[in-house]
Amino acid sequence: MRVEVLYPEICNLFGDLANIRYLKLCLPELELIETDLKSRPVFLDEQVDLVYMGSTTERGLQLVVQALSPVRDQLLARIDAGQLMLVTGNTLDAFGLSVHSDQGLDFSGLGLFETRAEYQMLKRHNSMFLGRFEDMEIVGFKSLFGLSYGAPAEEALFQTLRGVGRNADVKEEGFLRKNFMATYLIGPILPMNPPFAKWLLAQMGASGELAYEQTAQEAYLRRLAEFHSDSFDFMYH
Amino acid sequence: MGKLRFYAALWAAKLSIPALKITRHQGTDFPGVLALKICPDLLKYMGRPKTIIAVTGTNGKTTVSNILTDILEAEGYRVMGNRAGANIISGISTAYIRACNAFGRIKHHDIAVLEVDERSSPRVYPYVTPDYVVITNLFQDSIMRNAHPGFIADLISRSLPKSAKMVLNADEMISGSVCPDNPRVYFGIGPMDTDVKDCVNLLNDMRVCPKCSGKLNYSYRRYHHVGRFVCADCGYRSPEPEYQAEQVDFAKGTMQVREKGSSYAYPLITDSIFNAYNLITVVAILRQLGISHQRIAACMAQTRIPSTRHNKERVGDYNLIRQMSKENNSMAGSRAFDYISQRPGDKELLFMMNSLSDTGKWSENTAWLFDTDFEFLRREDVKKIIFTGPRIMDYKLRALMAGIEEDRIVCVEDENDAPERFSYDKNVDIYLLYGTDSLNEAARVYDKIKTLALEHSKEQEARQ
Repeated sequence: MRVEVLYPEICNLFGDLANIRYLKLCLPELELIETDLKSRPVFLDEQVDLVYMGSTTERGLQLVVQALSPVRDQLLARIDAGQLMLVTGNTLDAFGLSVHSDQGLDFSGLGLFETRAEYQMLKRHNSMFLGRFEDMEIVGFKSLFGLSYGAPAEEALFQTLRGVGRNADVKEEGFLRKNFMATYLIGPILPMNPPFAKWLLAQMGASGELAYEQTAQEAYLRRLAEFHSDSFDFMYH
Repeated sequence: MGKLRFYAALWAAKLSIPALKITRHQGTDFPGVLALKICPDLLKYMGRPKTIIAVTGTNGKTTVSNILTDILEAEGYRVMGNRAGANIISGISTAYIRACNAFGRIKHHDIAVLEVDERSSPRVYPYVTPDYVVITNLFQDSIMRNAHPGFIADLISRSLPKSAKMVLNADEMISGSVCPDNPRVYFGIGPMDTDVKDCVNLLNDMRVCPKCSGKLNYSYRRYHHVGRFVCADCGYRSPEPEYQAEQVDFAKGTMQVREKGSSYAYPLITDSIFNAYNLITVVAILRQLGISHQRIAACMAQTRIPSTRHNKERVGDYNLIRQMSKENNSMAGSRAFDYISQRPGDKELLFMMNSLSDTGKWSENTAWLFDTDFEFLRREDVKKIIFTGPRIMDYKLRALMAGIEEDRIVCVEDENDAPERFSYDKNVDIYLLYGTDSLNEAARVYDKIKTLALEHSKEQEARQ
C-alpha cells in the first residue's frame, strides 16, 4: 500500500503531517513516497492508494500552483478516474480559481473548483468546526487568513453543524469530487477523528484497529461533547 | 486638533500614574491604554531619546532586552523601556508616557530599549522609528495569532523604516532575510560538537531555498532550521556573521567572540544553547553602540538570566525544577523537551502548559502538539509523565505516537491532584513544565510539590 505526500518541504504547517505519521502507525507496512516541487508526482503514472497535501504558506500556495499547472489536465484525469486524495488547510485554495489578499497577493489557482479565496492578512480567521460526513461527526479547527467564496453548493465534503463552512455564510465545507477531498480544517484531523481515519483506511483497502484507537477515540468523544456544548464559542476572539 | 488630543491623552495618562501607585497597580499598562483611547496615534507626537533599539523575534526578546538594559545602565546610560509592561503598543506607549515630560519631550533618557511583539509591528513602527532593530529569531509560534514565521517576517519588513539598521541572526535565515534593503550586521554561533547535518525535529520551517526552492545543504545544523547552509541549485547561502561565538563551553562557562579576526573571552552565564544565542545577540548590539568587548564581558559576568523560565531548587532529598514551556508553541515545547532530555539522571515530569485562559469558552486547538518533539522524552530516564487539564487525552495520544510507553503516562484532570502522583523517589528529579497562561496555577502546584517533597524527606529520615 502506497501513500504519496506531495511537496512536504512546503506543505507541512500546523501539524498536518501528523496525519501521515498516524497512517504509518496504523499501517506499519505502508510505503511513503515524498515528492518534492521539482519532481513529477508519482500518482500521475503509477498506482498510489492515497495522495496527501498539507497546509502551506502563501508563497507555498503559489509554488504548489506553479508545480501542478503543467500537469493540470493529468491531475484532473486522475481525479475523474477516482484517485483518492486528501488536501488539508489553505492548500485547498490552490485548487480554486484565484487567491486575493488585502496586501497585494493576487494569483490564479488551478481552477478545479469554481471558488475564489479572499484573505485579510491582519484579521486571521480562527474557529472550531463540527460537521457531518456520511454517518460520522467531524471535529476540527480552522486557522486561516481567509475563506472561499462563490462556489455552488454541490461537491461539498462536510456539512457544517457548528462553525463556518467554505465561508461564514454557507454550510458546505470543503470540496469532494469522486475521491478527491479538500477541507479547510488544519492539523491532525485523522488522529483527531478516528471514525474518519478508519473510513479513509477502508477506502485504501485496509481494515482493523487504528493505532492507539482507544486513546484517540476517548479524545475524540471528549472534544465532540465540548463542540456540542452551547457554552463553547465557535469563533475565537 | 491632533496635537490638542495628544496633550489631553498625555496629561490624563500622566495623572493616572500616581493614582495607580496609590492603588498598587504600578506594573500595569493602564496609562498607555487610556492615552491610546483618547489619542490612537499618541506615539506620533512623542519626542524620542537619541537612540532607539527595538528588540523583537519569537524567542529570547525579553531576555535580550533585560540583559541589554542592565549592561547599558551599568555603563552609565540612562535607559527607558517597557521592561515593566507589555511588549504591545499599550506597553510601549506606557514606557514613553512614564519617560517624557508634560510636553511629550524625552530629556532624561539617552536610549530606549523596547521589546516589541513582532505581531505589533504595523502599529508600532510607523511612529517609533528605531535606529537599530534586533531580531533574535523567527520560528513557528501561535498558529492562531502568528500563522507562520514567513508571514511575520513579511509583516516586519513592511513595517520598518528603511533607515533602521538590522542586527540579525546569521544562523536563522527567516529572520535573517527581513528588510533586505536595510543596512545590517549578523551574529551567530560557530560549529559545535553537538551539531548535526539533517534535521531531527518535526518543525523545520526552512526546508527549501527561499530564492529557488532548491535543496539546502547544511554544513552544520543546530536544531530545527538553525544552522549554516548553501543552496545546491542557486548558491544562496547563510551570511558570514560579523560577531561569531566560538568555543562555547557550557561546562567551563566560557565562550569566545570573534570579530574581524580577533577573539575575545566572555563568560557564559547559561547552560542552554538558546541562551547562548541571546548572549551573542546582546554582544552584537552593544558592539554596534561602540562598547568594548572587555566592558561587555565584565558587565555580562555580573548579569543573571531571569529565573522565571528555568529554576532549580533542592527541597529535602529532591531536586525540583521548574521549566517554562509556552503553551501553543511547538518550538518552545521542543526546545524545553530537548533541554530536559540532556539533563543527567532519572526524571518525572508534570505538564501544565494548558491554555487556561481559553478553558470553558473555547476548546484549545491542539495542532501544535503534533509539531512538538515529544520524541525527545522517549527515554529510559524519563520515568513518568503526568498530563493535566482538559486536553489530557490529546497529550496522551501525542505521547503514544512519539513512542512513549503507555505505563509511563499518567493523566490527571485536575492539576491540583497531580503532585501526589510523583513517586518521590529521591533518585528521581521532579520537573514542572508550565506556560504563561498557567503561572499562578503552576506556583500553587509547585508549592504543593514542595510540601510533599519535604514530608517525604522527613518520613525517609525517620525510617533511617
